[in-house]
Amino acid sequence: MSTPGPDGPIVLSLRGVSKAFGAVQALRDVSFDCRAGEIHALVGENGSGKSTLLGIASGFLAPDEGILEIGGRRRRRGSPAEARRSGLGIAYQTYSHVLDLSVAENLYLALPRNLRPAFGRMQSWAATKLDAFGLDVSPAVVVGTLSLAQRQLLEVVKALLIEPRVLLLDEPTTALGPDEVAQLHALVLERSRAGVGVVYVSHRLPEVLGIADRITVLRDGVGQGTYGAAGMSEDSLVALMIGRPLTLAFPERDADDRPAEILLHVAGLSGDRFGPIDLAVAKGEILGIAGAEGNGQTQLLRALAGVEPKTGTASCNGHRLDTRSPLAALRAGVVLLSGDRARESLFPVLSVRANTTIQVLGRFGRLGLLSRRHERRTVDDLARRLRIRMASREQPVQSLSGGNQQKVSLTRPFLRGDVRVILAEEPTQGVDVGARFDIYEALRAKASEGVAVVVKSSDPIELAGLCDRVVVMSRGRIVDEIQGGDLGERRIVEAIVGSGVARARA
Amino acid sequence: MNGVLRFRGWMPLALLTALILGLGAFATVRQDAFLTEYNIQNLLLTTLPLALVAIGQTNALLVGGFDVSVAALMTLCVVTASYTMQEGDTWPMLLVGALALLGLGLATGVFNATLIHVLRLPSIIATLGTLSILAGASLLLRDHPEGFISSDLIEVLTTSVGFLPVAFVGVVVLAVLADVWLYRTRTGLALRSVGLDETSSRRLGMGTGRTIFLAFVVCSVMASIAGFYSAAQVQIGSPIIGNYALESIAAAVLGGASLAGGRGSFVGALLAALFLALIGNVLPLFQQPTEYAQMTIGGLILLALVLYQSPELLSRLRSSWGGVGRLGTRRGDAPAG
Repeated sequence: MSTPGPDGPIVLSLRGVSKAFGAVQALRDVSFDCRAGEIHALVGENGSGKSTLLGIASGFLAPDEGILEIGGRRRRRGSPAEARRSGLGIAYQTYSHVLDLSVAENLYLALPRNLRPAFGRMQSWAATKLDAFGLDVSPAVVVGTLSLAQRQLLEVVKALLIEPRVLLLDEPTTALGPDEVAQLHALVLERSRAGVGVVYVSHRLPEVLGIADRITVLRDGVGQGTYGAAGMSEDSLVALMIGRPLTLAFPERDADDRPAEILLHVAGLSGDRFGPIDLAVAKGEILGIAGAEGNGQTQLLRALAGVEPKTGTASCNGHRLDTRSPLAALRAGVVLLSGDRARESLFPVLSVRANTTIQVLGRFGRLGLLSRRHERRTVDDLARRLRIRMASREQPVQSLSGGNQQKVSLTRPFLRGDVRVILAEEPTQGVDVGARFDIYEALRAKASEGVAVVVKSSDPIELAGLCDRVVVMSRGRIVDEIQGGDLGERRIVEAIVGSGVARARA
Repeated sequence: MNGVLRFRGWMPLALLTALILGLGAFATVRQDAFLTEYNIQNLLLTTLPLALVAIGQTNALLVGGFDVSVAALMTLCVVTASYTMQEGDTWPMLLVGALALLGLGLATGVFNATLIHVLRLPSIIATLGTLSILAGASLLLRDHPEGFISSDLIEVLTTSVGFLPVAFVGVVVLAVLADVWLYRTRTGLALRSVGLDETSSRRLGMGTGRTIFLAFVVCSVMASIAGFYSAAQVQIGSPIIGNYALESIAAAVLGGASLAGGRGSFVGALLAALFLALIGNVLPLFQQPTEYAQMTIGGLILLALVLYQSPELLSRLRSSWGGVGRLGTRRGDAPAG
């Protein structure tokens, strides 16, 4: 029996690991270990090598150099199946669910053969396991019908099912509201007390500081040291991550108190999981939409962009907004920055240049042919303005970090002269700290130009820092509105939690 | 329990049974020549090659691929049989000839699977190439129908009890067992899982490459077995036999297979094959040109796609209304809230 706590035996060890993808050195001589019973957080900006490190630890990638040991046994070049057999469980950031299969079937497939129950007992077995992990979903339900939060918790349950000695959690809370984060953390803490070594990767530094015993920082593929969590603060972590102290987290709000000119007007809008909603957003205003996950925020935003059906009226600049289709909404000047960037905003295999100019190619035409020179100049200007970090403008967007991908999708409202409303769904999800500020600044810049910006976010700090006004949604309706001096993280969280309390009483 | 009992899984089977019984009843009432021992036996024998190749094709569809080379493989099998299993050959010779055909299926399957899995070619392109190679080989061996195939062999293949060919019973048993395997066992679930989401399946530690490889090998081997029954039908080394590539995909899809992979039913493929053969059987009885059969099959594929895959299609239609086709089809972003 191992001793839990920081003195436990090392269950996962990477020593002197290097890995290059083509010309890009993703990791350079990095060492990392995790002891039984500890929670060891791994932080760093996107592109700093966290995913590569996890990929090597989980057997998905083979290191160019260095040693990997799981449970004291050396692994040279493994497979996910082999790593799993040696006691390594991993919850992927992008999940490993087969959406068309049921919860029970997904749980069943997650197990190695020797741990699987008889096929016929799958349902009752799954029900028992879900109950044991406190996940309130029916085993017969198809995973594709679960909320993102439920899927994320299910992903962690799947990793825990194999009774791992090492648990790798890659951004396990991106889709979770505060309650679910607490639920997940309770589960992780309980496992670590039972002697499991946990590697916790997250962008949310308050979470990391709240749960980790030790923290290792990566920057540009190089280890920046391992520290006891007790001695660290958000500021000191950010400084290590970006190599400079983070002086200003959010751009200044516009100071002038010009008369509010309503640009986006919503009356009695209802749709799938929301409504009726009345809302007015002024020119130059950034409006935040807060709420616990799954209370209709996403649907409201998507309905305004014409992606989801709705009833009721919305008008933009006094004209009735045609939102029967995304194209009609776009013509009316409404742009959606989808939370699912890779699938809905970007063409992942196309270059930064192509993704930037694809909506306005007509502008670069001459006699029906594209003027590449003109196009290149425009892309380079925007890349500089939005601080897109890329090797070349011909780089496929999928090879960029999350923050830089988001910046590429942000170039489009900058290129279109006719944008009146920007709807941003989780604009900084999966975006590193340094790039977040650039994105906030870009949104604020558009607002200053007279665009109305609506931001749906599950991060109260982001809403408090970025927005002029925040509305809180619960059960598809607006239950609170916060602005002026009241606007703060604490007040937003209280409003979200408060609406939860009201719901429980109802 | 789940899987087999899902509505979507049963709908094609129920629909096909109703269609077969309906068309059968209609033909029985209107044409005396339909419900005769000779005609029914003939119908079931005609069904066999299509049923076998459709069962094979279902494997390819289940892993999200196509195999359009099956028809060319069946033709090459028939042509080869006209050399290796000739009229008057003794049983040991016939056995070697039969192994040659199966070997041909195995080799084609491994070739296809290698192109698709190892070289990462899209299955439709890879098997299109194979199709061309095999079709050329067939024409090289026989540029016109020639060479009688052993009637001893044909007699064994088509052995019947009354109207019922023994081989047909065998195919029914095979299809039922295969469906039980697909929906009631771990490996069957793993196959569907790979077809539904290959990345997740690999992350879950499944041998996805092996599964896809095997699916295409099984598809080709089934096509070579179907080749035996094609040979029994045409009885001569003909380089031109039916349009089995389209019809096998049609039967598999009518039987409930999804073009996107992960869904399908072997019993469904068998029933669909029977239904398609029934159309071809009934039309001449009514003095209608058999060309109608081909048109009907095309129409039925489209109908089946609309009916079975309606949830995806409906949302696609809805969002393509405004001209942007791919938005809105994203699934599962609806919270349970």
